[in-house]
Amino acid sequence: MSALRYWKSVRFQTLSPLGVGCLFAAASVAPAGADQLSPVDPYAILGLTQEQMELPEVLTTTRLRQSKLRVPGTTTIITGDMIRKLGIMNLVEVFRLVPGMVVSEVGSNNPVTTYHGTVHYEQRRLQVQIDGRTAYRAGLSDMDWIAMPVALENIERIEISRGPNSAADGINAFLGSINIITRSPQDTAGLEAYAAAGSRGHLRTFTSAGGASADASWRLSYEKRKSSGADRQTVEDQNPPSHDGHDINNVNYDSTLRVGDRHSMTIRAGVVDGVDEEDHLTSGLAGSATNPDIMIRDYYLQARFEGTTSASHFYHIQASYQQQRRTQEWTISIPASAVSDLLPPGLPPFPTDQGPLVADINANSREVRQEFEFQDTLLFSPDLKLVSGLAYRRDSFESETYFNGREGNYQSRVFGNLEYSPAHWLTLNAGANWETTTTTRSGHFSPRVASNFIINDNHALRLVFSKAVRTPSVFEQSPDWSYRPKNIPAPFTILEGQRVLVADMAADSRRPTTYGQNLDEERITSREISYFGQFHLNQALLKMEVRYFHDDLRDMVSGIISEDEWTIDNNVALDQQGFEIETSLDFSGTTLRATYAYLDQDGRYTGDPDSLELRDQNYFVELLSRLSVQHSGSLSWIQDLPRGFSTATSFYWDDEFSKSAFKRADLRIARRVDMSNYSYEIAFTLQHYLSLEPWTSDDNIIDHENQFFVEAGIRF
Amino acid sequence: MTLINCMTLTGPAPVGFRDSIIRVFCTMVLLAAAFQSLASERPVTTVYIAGSGNPALDQHITGLLAGQLGESVSLIPIDDDQLPTIIDNPVVTIGAAATTRVHNTNPAISVLALFAETTFINDLAEKFPGQISGIPYDVPLLRQALTGKAILPQATRIALLATEATAGNYDQLLKELPAYGMEARVFLVESSNDLIPTLVRALGYGDFLLAAPDTEIYNSRTIKHILLTAYRRNMIVIGPTQAYVKAGSLASSYTPFPAMAELAARFLKSYFTDGRFPAPAYPDHYGVVTNNQVARSLNIPLPDRDDIGKMVQKVLSAHKGEG
Repeated sequence: MSALRYWKSVRFQTLSPLGVGCLFAAASVAPAGADQLSPVDPYAILGLTQEQMELPEVLTTTRLRQSKLRVPGTTTIITGDMIRKLGIMNLVEVFRLVPGMVVSEVGSNNPVTTYHGTVHYEQRRLQVQIDGRTAYRAGLSDMDWIAMPVALENIERIEISRGPNSAADGINAFLGSINIITRSPQDTAGLEAYAAAGSRGHLRTFTSAGGASADASWRLSYEKRKSSGADRQTVEDQNPPSHDGHDINNVNYDSTLRVGDRHSMTIRAGVVDGVDEEDHLTSGLAGSATNPDIMIRDYYLQARFEGTTSASHFYHIQASYQQQRRTQEWTISIPASAVSDLLPPGLPPFPTDQGPLVADINANSREVRQEFEFQDTLLFSPDLKLVSGLAYRRDSFESETYFNGREGNYQSRVFGNLEYSPAHWLTLNAGANWETTTTTRSGHFSPRVASNFIINDNHALRLVFSKAVRTPSVFEQSPDWSYRPKNIPAPFTILEGQRVLVADMAADSRRPTTYGQNLDEERITSREISYFGQFHLNQALLKMEVRYFHDDLRDMVSGIISEDEWTIDNNVALDQQGFEIETSLDFSGTTLRATYAYLDQDGRYTGDPDSLELRDQNYFVELLSRLSVQHSGSLSWIQDLPRGFSTATSFYWDDEFSKSAFKRADLRIARRVDMSNYSYEIAFTLQHYLSLEPWTSDDNIIDHENQFFVEAGIRF
Repeated sequence: MTLINCMTLTGPAPVGFRDSIIRVFCTMVLLAAAFQSLASERPVTTVYIAGSGNPALDQHITGLLAGQLGESVSLIPIDDDQLPTIIDNPVVTIGAAATTRVHNTNPAISVLALFAETTFINDLAEKFPGQISGIPYDVPLLRQALTGKAILPQATRIALLATEATAGNYDQLLKELPAYGMEARVFLVESSNDLIPTLVRALGYGDFLLAAPDTEIYNSRTIKHILLTAYRRNMIVIGPTQAYVKAGSLASSYTPFPAMAELAARFLKSYFTDGRFPAPAYPDHYGVVTNNQVARSLNIPLPDRDDIGKMVQKVLSAHKGEG
C-alpha cells in the first residue's frame, strides 16, 4: 500500500505513552507561532541509540528495548497491519506465521497453538500476555483462545519470543512467550466499524470510538465474534453435524493520560461475555444428554503508571485484576445399572425398568487473578543497561467440581537482565528470574546468558543458553475433582447432591492412577545459535533470521487427565533440535515473507518402568508429540495495486500432525477507498484447504475445501 | 530641483563670439558641476518598513533589502501612527499582521508584503492590483510535494489535511500532480476534535503527509500531536516551514531570505519606474531544510539537502520544458 513499506519494515516500535510524552517534551511549542517551535531530538528524548531506531526492536525478550542485534534470543514480530492485510479471521490463526508454531483444534473445536509441539489438550507451556497482563489460565493450565479479550483491529503487534523466556516472564514461559500489544488509543481516535461474514457461520463485527488530545486519549471498542465451528464430527464411523461454535462479545476500554512530561497513566478494562458451544458427543461426561456449552463471563481491570526520572532511568508500576467465570451445566443420562456402584454398601441396586438416571451436573469455575509488577530500567551508559523488577501474582479458583470449593496459588518473583557491550561488536546479556510458587512450595531459578557478535551493524550472530521451568498447575497438582448430580428424580434421589469422586472413577482405569501424587516442575535446558541480518538491496530490504536450537526437556508431565483416568506424571524426557528460518523482502508496494521450521524431537519414557506396559509407555511419550510437527512453514505475499486495490496471498502448511498434514492457501482481494470525510475498505477472502482430511481430530471436519469471507470496514 | 536652480543662476548670455565661447564653456562647466552635484546629492527615495515585531527578523530583512537596493533607497521603519501621513512611498510589510495593519490604517498605501502566505497575498493583490503585491513566504505546494518525492522516490500518494475553508487551496496541486506521477487526496478536518481521526485515515492513505501552511490545522497546539501520530505510524511529514522541520517534520523547501529580498528589490524598482507593483511571484531559488534526527529515527536514507533541491528543480524544469 505504501511506498514507505520498505522503510517502515525496518523499524517496529511501539512508543509507550510515556515515550510519547517524552518524545515531544522538549518541543515546547511556543504560542507565538510555528517559527518558534523548538527542535526535537528523537534519540536523546527517547533515550535510544541510533541503532535502536534503525533496526527492528523487541520489548518482550528481556523487557529492555533492544534491537535484534543485541537481543538475547529469537523473536518474531507480527504487526497488526500484516494480520489485517492477510485477512486472518481470528487471533489464534496469527501464529501460523511464526516459525515453529502450529495451530490446530481439539475436542469440540477448541483452538490450540503451541511452539515446538507437545500435548494438544491443555496447552500449558507458553506464557501469553496482553499488554503485560497474563492471559494464561494458571488454574486449569490452559489457554482459552476463543475468549481472548482482544480484537484483531486493536492489535498493534504481537511479539513471540521463541525459546525459553522464563528469565523475563516467569515460570510459564517454558517454550516461549507471546506478548500481544494493543494499539495506543492515540492512534485510533475516531469512529470505526467493521463487519465480516463467511463460511461456517463466521461473523465478526467491530466498532470503536475514541478521542485523543495532546495529553489524554481513550478508546471504547466492541467486538462480536461468532462461528458455527466445524461442519461435522465423527461418532462411531458416522459424521453427524457438530455443535461446536461460539458467540462471543468483547468490550474493551483503553485510556492514557499524561501527567506532566515525565509520567503517564494507562487504564484498561474489558468484559468478555458469550458462549462456547460444546457438543455432548465430543465433550462432557459419558452419558451427556445435553450439550455442555460453556457460558463465558470474564472481565479485567488494569492500571499502569509509567515514570521517568531522567533520560536514563524509567520505571513502571502495574496492577491488574481479572476474573474468568465459566458456567458449564448439562444433563446426563446414565443407565441405572451403571450407577448402582455409587450406592452406599448394603443398599439394593437401582431398578433397571424405570429408565436411566437423569441428572444435572456442572463444571462451573471462577478464577480470579491479581497481579502486581514493578519494573525499573537503568541505562548506565549506552553500553551498560539493567532492567530489574518484582512481581507478585495471586491466582484463586473457585469450583465445586474441580476443587470442591476454593483453591489458590501465590507466586512472587524477582527478575533482571543486564546488557553489557564491552565492544561495538559484542553484546553480553545475563538475565534470570527467581520465583517461588505455592504449587510446588519451592523456589525456581531460570537463568539466561547470551553473547551477540555484531557484524557491521546489520548482522549478528547469537549464542544463547537458557534454563526454564514449568510448575504444574494447581489442578494438576492438587485436584479435588468430583461431580454433584442435582435435580435427580426417583428412584435415584438418594444420589442427589452426592459427590461422585473422579479419584474413585480413575482408580478403576486400566492404567494405575496417579491422582493425588505430587508432581515436580518440568525443566528445559536450551541452547540457541541464531543469526539475524538485514541486507539493504537497491530498492528493497531483505531480512533474515535463522535459529538453530537444541533443547533438553526433563521431567515432562505426560499422561491422561479425564474423569475416568488420571495418569499424569513426570515421566517423559524429550530431546529436540532443529532450525527455523524467517525471512522477508520488502520493497515499494510489495511484501514477501517466508518461514520454515524443522523439528526433530526424540522422547523417552523416564517413569517407573514397572508401572506401565511398554505400549503405554510409548503412548505417554507420543502424547507429548501430538502437536510436534517436523516440517512447518508459511509463505505470504502482500501486493499493492493501483486504484486502492491490494491482494494478499498466503500459504500455510504443517507436515504433519498426528493424522495428516495441514495445508491451506488464502487469497484476499481488497479495495480501500479514501474519501474526504471517511475511508472504507471492502475485501473478499478465499481460504482453500488442500486436503480435508482431519489433521488432529476426527471431530473437527470441514466439508468444503473452499471457505469464503467478505469484509467491509469504514472509518470516520 | 537642483538642476533648475543652476540654470536660473547663469542669467542672460553676452553678444560677442569670444564671449560666446566663454559663455558656452562656462555653461558646460556649470552644467558639469550641476550634474556632479546632482550625482553626489541626489535625493534618496524612501521605502518604509512595517515590521513584524520581531526586531531581529525585521533588522535582518531590512539589511538584505538595503543590500539589494543600494544607497539610493532609504529604508525607514515606520510606526502605526505615522501611517496616515504616507502618500506616495511604498511600504514593505513583514508578516501578514503587519500587512493587515498597514492596509487597514491607510488603504491608499502601496504595500509590498513579505513573510505572508500565498493565499493571503493573492487575495489582497486581486483586490488591489498594482497597489498591493508580495513575495509569498510559503513554498509552492507542488515544490513541497516534489521535495517529498525526492526523498521517497517510490512515493505516489500524498495525504493532505484541510478544513472546508482551505480545501480549495489544494485544487491546483491536485491538478498538477498526475503529470509528476503522483496523486493526492484531501482529508477534511471538520473540527479540532476531528483532527487526529482524520489524520489517522490520511496516514493510511498517503506515502507521506504534506503539511501546508494552514494555521487552522498546523499550529503550535497541534503540531506535536500530528508529528507524534505520524511517527507512530512510521509516516513522514513534509513541510510546511523550516520551523516545523526543526520541530520534527522531516523536510521542507523554504524560501531563502536573500532570494526573497532580491525579488522584493526588483518589485520595488519596478514600482519606482511604473508606480505600481508587479503581480505576486515566488522567488526563483529555494532551499531545502531537513531534520536528520527524524530521518535516522525513521530509518530513511536522506539525500543531501542541496541534492534534494537540485532534484526538485530538475523535475520542475523538465516539465516546464515539456510545456
